[in-house]
Amino acid sequence: MATWLINATQATIDGLIDGGIYAWIGLGLSLSFVTLRRLNLAYGATALFGIYGGLWLHQKWDLPLPVLVVVIVVITLVATAYVEVLCFSGRTNVSAQSGSRPAGEIQNAEIVAMAASFAIWMQLEQVAVNLLPRHLQAFPSIAATSEWAIGEIYIRYDRGLLAVVGLLCCWLTAKWLAHSRTGLRFRAATDHSLAARLSGLRVDRVQRHAFYLAGGLSAVAACSVLLLDGQVTPMFGMWMLFKGLVAAWLLGGHSLGSVMGGGLLLGLVESYAQWLMGAQAREFVLYALLFVLLVRQAPVTRKGLTA
Amino acid sequence: MSSYAIGLSTDMAIMSFLALAAYLLLLVGRISFGLQAFFGFGAYVAGIGSTMLNWPFPIAVVFAVVIGAIVSAAVAWPTMGLSGLRYAIASLAFAEMARIALSQWVWQVRIDERLIGPNGVDGFRDIRWVLTNDITDTQYLVICLGALACCVAVMWYFERRRIGTAMRAIGFDETLAQHMGLNTHHIRVMTATIAGAIAALGGALYAHRTTYIEPAVFEPMLGVHSVGYALIGGLGAPFAPLLGVILDLGLLNAFHDLAQWRMVIFGGLVAIFLRLKPRGLVDEKLFDSLRKGI
Repeated sequence: MATWLINATQATIDGLIDGGIYAWIGLGLSLSFVTLRRLNLAYGATALFGIYGGLWLHQKWDLPLPVLVVVIVVITLVATAYVEVLCFSGRTNVSAQSGSRPAGEIQNAEIVAMAASFAIWMQLEQVAVNLLPRHLQAFPSIAATSEWAIGEIYIRYDRGLLAVVGLLCCWLTAKWLAHSRTGLRFRAATDHSLAARLSGLRVDRVQRHAFYLAGGLSAVAACSVLLLDGQVTPMFGMWMLFKGLVAAWLLGGHSLGSVMGGGLLLGLVESYAQWLMGAQAREFVLYALLFVLLVRQAPVTRKGLTA
Repeated sequence: MSSYAIGLSTDMAIMSFLALAAYLLLLVGRISFGLQAFFGFGAYVAGIGSTMLNWPFPIAVVFAVVIGAIVSAAVAWPTMGLSGLRYAIASLAFAEMARIALSQWVWQVRIDERLIGPNGVDGFRDIRWVLTNDITDTQYLVICLGALACCVAVMWYFERRRIGTAMRAIGFDETLAQHMGLNTHHIRVMTATIAGAIAALGGALYAHRTTYIEPAVFEPMLGVHSVGYALIGGLGAPFAPLLGVILDLGLLNAFHDLAQWRMVIFGGLVAIFLRLKPRGLVDEKLFDSLRKGI
């Protein structure tokens, strides 16, 4: 087989595997944005806080792996509750009275909540670093020590499995949101919050539950990634946020299902960028893609494209 | 004044430019997490002007400001039509693109047997205009404070005019402002252009103070801090964001024991202010009562 074809196949496989993982990472972020219109920029930081808190306890008491994962999820949920109370609670509920309040005020409330979550990101990251100051922390690893080889193409089957599980998790969550009563409540609280409230739905509580669910999903996704990586640094929070953000928004960010396609596309683009242009280009492409996609949604650009 | 106090005051003056830039965008209802990019462009361009091209310092700074304004306008034109959330993310994405691009940029010339110029992740060393011209720390502080005072005065003047009222109207309710006949997109782009120019001015002064800059300096946290300064200080008047800078750099730096908790305190303050006083310490109401009192 020609070298370029081998490289292209390898890049495609690596990209798809990474993409499945990105989709899982983006699921929680997408859930809170699509169902709640809440952009939680402390998304990665809450998971990082949970991981560092869990590792701190693990280093003290040598927790078994399943207990460690549970502890991480619990600490992440506590941090998510902190973010919810300080940044979002009572703020995005403005939309519940959207009939009587100006659009500018509703949008401002969303932006202010997002900015507050960015500030909390700083807090959580700093507390995590203060807890475990060393830059690189070991995380219990269950990664496979070998790869599948098909001719000259190599596949990390443990990562492949993780990607499949991630995609499955996204698909099941989307289905559950579309067909279950809880999913209906989530959607009603966001799409027609005034009507939902008048129908007797406790909008505040529903939004809070959806937000916690997103936080819990982020912790599980983060643990899964780290169980294969075997190490974590304070940059992990930012990594989670940006990968999740691009995966969630790449195909418009309008539905939960799009996070799967977005994640896979991101993985492919990054993988090809690395193959063709090097590691730095991989990062650049991530942000360029996000920027271009956002710009394409702007009215000015849309007018230009139509013309 | 001790040299520490002079250094800290200079840092506060320089960071105030970023706070002013964030303040301007907040007035028109936009949060930018990408102002650090224009700060970075200003630093690199002014450094190239004064060190590699041997231009006089004022010319290098003006050139940096112009470049900052042009790039900011070019970025703002397509992005200002986005919703506030999307604009914030787009600005952050652009800033990260700029940081990565700067970390790849190598352009060095030989001056006095030394290679000088941007050198990728290793940054840009020997921006020595202050040293070669025997500018003392106090003199440089006066330069920074003078530039800052000019910026605040110009902003103060224009905020009392129709354009200032229009900017605030757009920030409060874009739809209403449009119905009043305001071209909200043009005004927002113009505001972003000025904000980019002010951030670049801060960057130009920063590069000549530190003599060394590297792309890692212009990371997202710098942009978040600038927004935090403006949000804590308030949106009532142009001097208000400076209070945010004083609170963070002045007060928190004064307590060295708190160094490792600085982000925790600052982040918490921003979040609490956004919840309790979303328009900051000095909001329009307080400023009006202060003015009437005077």
